[in-house]
Amino acid sequence: MSDFLDQVETCVPALRRYARALTRNADLADDLVQDCLERAISRQGLFRPRGPLRAWLFTILLNLHRNALRSSRRRGQEVDIEAIEEPSTPAPQPGHIALAEMARAIETLPAEQKEALLLIALEGLSYQEAADILKIPLGTLMSRLGRARAALRAATGTPSEPHLRTVK
Amino acid sequence: MSEINRDTLMAYADGQLDNAGRQHVDAYLTANPDTAAEIALMQRQSDAIRTLFAPAGAEPVPARLKPRRIAAEQSRHRRGAVGWAAAAVILLGVGLGAGWFLRPVLDSRPPSATLIADAINAHTVYVAENRHAVEVGGEDSEHLTSWLSNRLETQLGMPNLDAEGFSLVGGRLLPGEPELGGRAAQLMYESADKERVTIYVTAALPDGQPAYEFTRYDGAEAFYWANERITCTVVGTLPEERMKALSRAVYTQLTEGDDGRERYRS
Repeated sequence: MSDFLDQVETCVPALRRYARALTRNADLADDLVQDCLERAISRQGLFRPRGPLRAWLFTILLNLHRNALRSSRRRGQEVDIEAIEEPSTPAPQPGHIALAEMARAIETLPAEQKEALLLIALEGLSYQEAADILKIPLGTLMSRLGRARAALRAATGTPSEPHLRTVK
Repeated sequence: MSEINRDTLMAYADGQLDNAGRQHVDAYLTANPDTAAEIALMQRQSDAIRTLFAPAGAEPVPARLKPRRIAAEQSRHRRGAVGWAAAAVILLGVGLGAGWFLRPVLDSRPPSATLIADAINAHTVYVAENRHAVEVGGEDSEHLTSWLSNRLETQLGMPNLDAEGFSLVGGRLLPGEPELGGRAAQLMYESADKERVTIYVTAALPDGQPAYEFTRYDGAEAFYWANERITCTVVGTLPEERMKALSRAVYTQLTEGDDGRERYRS
């Protein structure tokens, strides 16, 4: 029991970070994490699936986030004023990515690509763990990641698609 | 050696390859600077994402996100819920018991008293309304007649009170006492001086017995009568004489054509 709570506690910083990146709003993100923890803790005995705890918590968090998105689309979205960046000029040197520009580019990604990319790039999860959390096959995960990266590259003004050959 | 494709390169950039796989790609990249640049770009994207969002994970965790506190709160609520449930059961028991013993007292209130109280209450609520005094306006009196007649399942005409100086504003359907038909219609009339009276009509009581009652309650005069078809309560705050005259007109018109109707006595 207390072992379980300790394990949950070690996941909280990652959940907050991921929730913040998804929502771009500190309060909404913490509300989301609180909902997630309450659910996980109240269901620990009955519903907890086998497998890593971290993956289960991320799955709960994502489901809550998707539900919230669905209902906020009906209500009109809430945007944290802090999350609206000043328009920025393109990056001065080639190869440098302006952060504000990147933040906006991530915002424009389809939700499924954003969810996948953040699990990998921000949380550093393995492809397999991310695929399990998102409940999608590995191949689907990788194609979402590929499309997300291509979209970010296009949106941050870096030259597109260097040709890639398949070699033996 | 296995093929190096787009997926392998992305996995390399994301640090997902094992040692052997990594070395394989390393060798390939040395020979292909274009691809190496692309990999570097992917890694800069990841760096940018971490720079943007990683700090949120290093912030001190607020108390409301502490698992132990959440768990403690939940078990307190559970205990609380059990306590409330027990209290509710006891209270329900007390209520049922008291209700049973008080039954003769409560049942002694006649249906007419309930209907008159409802009529006066509805009168007080709606005469104060300006724009929403009625649901259906009196100008459409034919529709009003058929609608309310259908709902009350009895023929209900709109009394004409022109002779008393009152014209029909309109009517509305109201929820009524469940054991007394469940529905009521309210008709509202207004004089040139904006005095308002209402007529509260329900389907007949189960006994269908004729009854008359004139009461004054809470500053309002109410004239109640019942026959085998309907009950009707005329409510207003006019002087008693005018209320009686109005009530007489209403009674006469609403009972017109009823078999064996009794003459209005006052």
